[in-house]
Amino acid sequence: METAIDIALKLVAITVAFTVVLLIVAYTVLAERRVLGFIQGRLGPNRVGYGGILQPFADLLKFILKEDIVPDKSTRFIYFLAPVIATMAALMTMIVYPFGPEITIPFTSITIPLVIARFDVGLLYVLGITSIGVYGIMLAGWSSNNKYSLMGGLRSSAQMISYELALGLSLIGVIILAGTLDLAQIVERQSGWHGFRWLIFFNPLGFIVYLIAAIAETNRVPFDLPEAETELVAGFHTEYSAMKFALFFLAEYINMFTVSMLATTLFLGGWNVPFAEDIFGRGTFLFGLVSAIGFLVKVIFFLFIYIWLRGTLPRFRFDQLMDFGWKILLPLALLSIFITATLVFLFPNI
Amino acid sequence: MLALLFILFAGLGIGCALAVVAQRNPLYSAISLVGVFISLACLYVMLAAPFIAAVQVIVYAGAIMVLVVFVIMLLNVEQEERRRPRLKFLVPAAIVLSAILIAEVAFILVSVQEFRVSPNSTASNVGLTASIGSQLFTRYLLPFEITSILLLMAIVGAMTLARRGGMLSPAARVIPGTQQFPLSMVDPNAAPDDLRAVETESSEEAARLLGITDFRNQSKRD
Repeated sequence: METAIDIALKLVAITVAFTVVLLIVAYTVLAERRVLGFIQGRLGPNRVGYGGILQPFADLLKFILKEDIVPDKSTRFIYFLAPVIATMAALMTMIVYPFGPEITIPFTSITIPLVIARFDVGLLYVLGITSIGVYGIMLAGWSSNNKYSLMGGLRSSAQMISYELALGLSLIGVIILAGTLDLAQIVERQSGWHGFRWLIFFNPLGFIVYLIAAIAETNRVPFDLPEAETELVAGFHTEYSAMKFALFFLAEYINMFTVSMLATTLFLGGWNVPFAEDIFGRGTFLFGLVSAIGFLVKVIFFLFIYIWLRGTLPRFRFDQLMDFGWKILLPLALLSIFITATLVFLFPNI
Repeated sequence: MLALLFILFAGLGIGCALAVVAQRNPLYSAISLVGVFISLACLYVMLAAPFIAAVQVIVYAGAIMVLVVFVIMLLNVEQEERRRPRLKFLVPAAIVLSAILIAEVAFILVSVQEFRVSPNSTASNVGLTASIGSQLFTRYLLPFEITSILLLMAIVGAMTLARRGGMLSPAARVIPGTQQFPLSMVDPNAAPDDLRAVETESSEEAARLLGITDFRNQSKRD
């Protein structure tokens, strides 16, 4: 009976978390188009609903209703598998992020943590699943039987392998400071100083390296060479249409979201809102609510940075991309580990 | 519940392992191998060794197999053709060896009647990250460092093999707009000692600077 209730609670938590995240992702697409419009001095989509507020649903309907074209000479099984892998890998990392502290539901004594699953190796789990996501793009590029797609797939895998190193190394400073890989515990460690003991203050270099490497990992501007439309038509998803294209699109935006969640969790204190504990008191429902909203606000801040970059920066050239990843970002990540380790060695109680 | 999950992941692992061998297309084999690694990782999680599971996925599925798939895609390896085995004596040898393996497995299944170690895995924390880390950096520090040096040697060796001969100088690396010559045409001894980047207007001039006399003829023949 106990386990049945546990499983039911988990299912509810999963449903709520995924719905919230997918809604935010859908509106990120709209926000991106509106903000890009603003940056480029035009309006952007503002016709469907008030100010374009129903645009994501119109887009979804269009994706479903469009004809699904499969290239004749594609490798069918892998062609169908690729978008599934991409979306699944993007969604699977969502379960380890702590959206908020433990909260007590009002008028009952039920306490639930605002995290779906807690792992001893939460951070490594995120890195592992992210590295599986590369297969979606690579296989899509290969199975389409199209030169542009293949080039996009190859570029993407080379880029992701290169930047994964810098990404992983930039997180080691955080692990040294927190002393654990469990994301929920890492957030707990940052709750001192009235909720302002964020790890970004101890490891700013690691944060910068992580932010750059994360943009490269999600194939966003200025690292969007796998789908550089001026050279490769649309890169790895040139041959994809209708819902299968929508899955790749979704995977890209979910990846943006999860990468932003990781940045928030590791560097910006996760759900810790400054002075929230002093005002509401720990464990109350209001405290949980404010913390969860604070978490989402920080994530949305990162999403805005993504859109801002897309509106302002030109694309890298491929050799610049590789030089930057291996000769600048990787040594900087190693330097951040060295600095953090020295800091912890000199001040063990930091 | 746990037994059901074990059967699921073990079956998936064995199925994928059979597919690795049976598939004729190398890319399908590679993808099946990824499936094997992932189902193995799931089994490790059930054995309360989450760190090994995560490392299994990150290192094998996420890094090594990505490189393998990358190479298969880059070389565009065609479907392997079914052909007669050349070394005929290998067939009976394989049969004998597999018979021995099956006999060993049968012996273990018959002789080992009970588990010495309690399968109650949640009680121990051996597989957790903290215990692995502290053991690795205290008791097993020497093997750990030796392994690191071994890996470093492999990296340096690969670099040396890849760059042996052929390379003119660090300044001669290929950047867009730079002329490329086949290695057979370039005489490394003709280059001066104080190498520096020189800008030229035409391919002929670049060839002359590099000490290639019959540039036009060579490129036609190629």
